[in-house]
Amino acid sequence: MIESIKTLIDRVVDILFTGNRYMMLLNGLKLTVILSLCSVIIGIVLGTIVAVVKVSHQNRPRNIVLRVLNVIVTVYVQVIRGTPTVVQLLIMNFVVFASSRNPVAVAILCFGINSGAYVSEIMRAGINAVDYGQTEAGRSLGLSYFETMKSIILPQAIKNILPALGNEFIVLLKETSIAGYISIQDLTKAGDLIRFATFEAFIPLITVAVIYLIMVLGLSKLLSMLERRLSKSDNRH
Amino acid sequence: MITVTDLHKKFGDNHVLRGISDTIEKGEKVVIIGPSGSGKSTFLRCLNLLETPTSGKIFFQGQEITDPKCDVNAVRRKMGMVFQHFNLFPHLTIRKNITLAPVKLKVMTEDEANERAEQLLKRVGLADKAEDYPGSLSGGQKQRIAIVRSLAMNPDVMLFDEPTSALDPEMVGEVLDVMRELAESGMTMVVVTHEMGFAREVGTRILFMDQGKILEQNEPGEFFRNPREQRTQEFLSKVL
Repeated sequence: MIESIKTLIDRVVDILFTGNRYMMLLNGLKLTVILSLCSVIIGIVLGTIVAVVKVSHQNRPRNIVLRVLNVIVTVYVQVIRGTPTVVQLLIMNFVVFASSRNPVAVAILCFGINSGAYVSEIMRAGINAVDYGQTEAGRSLGLSYFETMKSIILPQAIKNILPALGNEFIVLLKETSIAGYISIQDLTKAGDLIRFATFEAFIPLITVAVIYLIMVLGLSKLLSMLERRLSKSDNRH
Repeated sequence: MITVTDLHKKFGDNHVLRGISDTIEKGEKVVIIGPSGSGKSTFLRCLNLLETPTSGKIFFQGQEITDPKCDVNAVRRKMGMVFQHFNLFPHLTIRKNITLAPVKLKVMTEDEANERAEQLLKRVGLADKAEDYPGSLSGGQKQRIAIVRSLAMNPDVMLFDEPTSALDPEMVGEVLDVMRELAESGMTMVVVTHEMGFAREVGTRILFMDQGKILEQNEPGEFFRNPREQRTQEFLSKVL
């Protein structure tokens, strides 16, 4: 038993540390984190804008500007949700930004746009769940529609949808593992390259999986802490 | 201060307001009563354009607010509104609830707004609640805060939409006390309510609405002693 654990550790050291191969994993991890963080921010901003457009159109169906915007965002959401992310990534890299030499930026944009479509639906549900009386109270004080949205409705909406938003972040974090398709050496790609170099699949791939798992668990923990902090105002007696 | 001419409001096929005309003078305390579905709340909500009138005109301080070019937000700053369900902002402390609008609209600096909030909270006896969240308050306390929140904008008129209807009976008094005190301070008030005692005591004029029209109006003493219309008599015999 102890023998076999010892050989396993020896193999891990051999495969991950010879020629500083663990640096590949660390650099990949760095890229994965950058990709997810940047694109989740783009996703939330984009998703919020789309959701506000949709809800505003719902509230004022006759406003012509909103009607045009609503068509645009509806097409956006349908196209993004209706096509695989890998295909979107390939199109972004080899068609839309074919002349770009910065695949990381392309991937961030692509994942951000992708995530925005999903976030927008979550956000829309969150906004609609806030009592309409809140809007009326804001407007009756003389606040503009968008000021009311920003200061009164969105903070409550985001609080309501935090679990769903956290889930979206987790999905996104794992989704970035397809970045290797456009030759970005993210965590997954790094693990795969080590597999290639060492003819050993088990250790590098399991290591990669464990790193993802740890990140997701940490993220869940962080989110539940945030949720608790935000529910401070809920203390009913 | 407020003049309404031939106001109509339809919700689809439902003709809720059928031609309302009235003038509310500065300092008046107009109490609107009537059976449910008579259009009282809709009328009140038209006054600050929470409902858009289907036709008719509303003038506020000489300005036609039903004109599409009118800056509705500027008008609403001068008209406070208190809702049946309080509509406090649950994610903000009481202090922030009160100071949000004055600060965002640059009517006051943050310091001035805080000072004003404290002063108003003291006036309604809730100075110790400034840092609490609405979730921890009773209904009566919430409604008193909602009144304070409107007053923080220094409005010229206050609209009350059934302010005590969602309250437990023992809490009605504390809210009416605040409203009574506000009336004594000279505020122009338009109140939709089912509290006949309040209407009689505080109102300077009672409007009785039925089926989207003002059926009868009078000063409270005369109104409750000698209602002219049969519908008014029937209504009063049920609620008094």
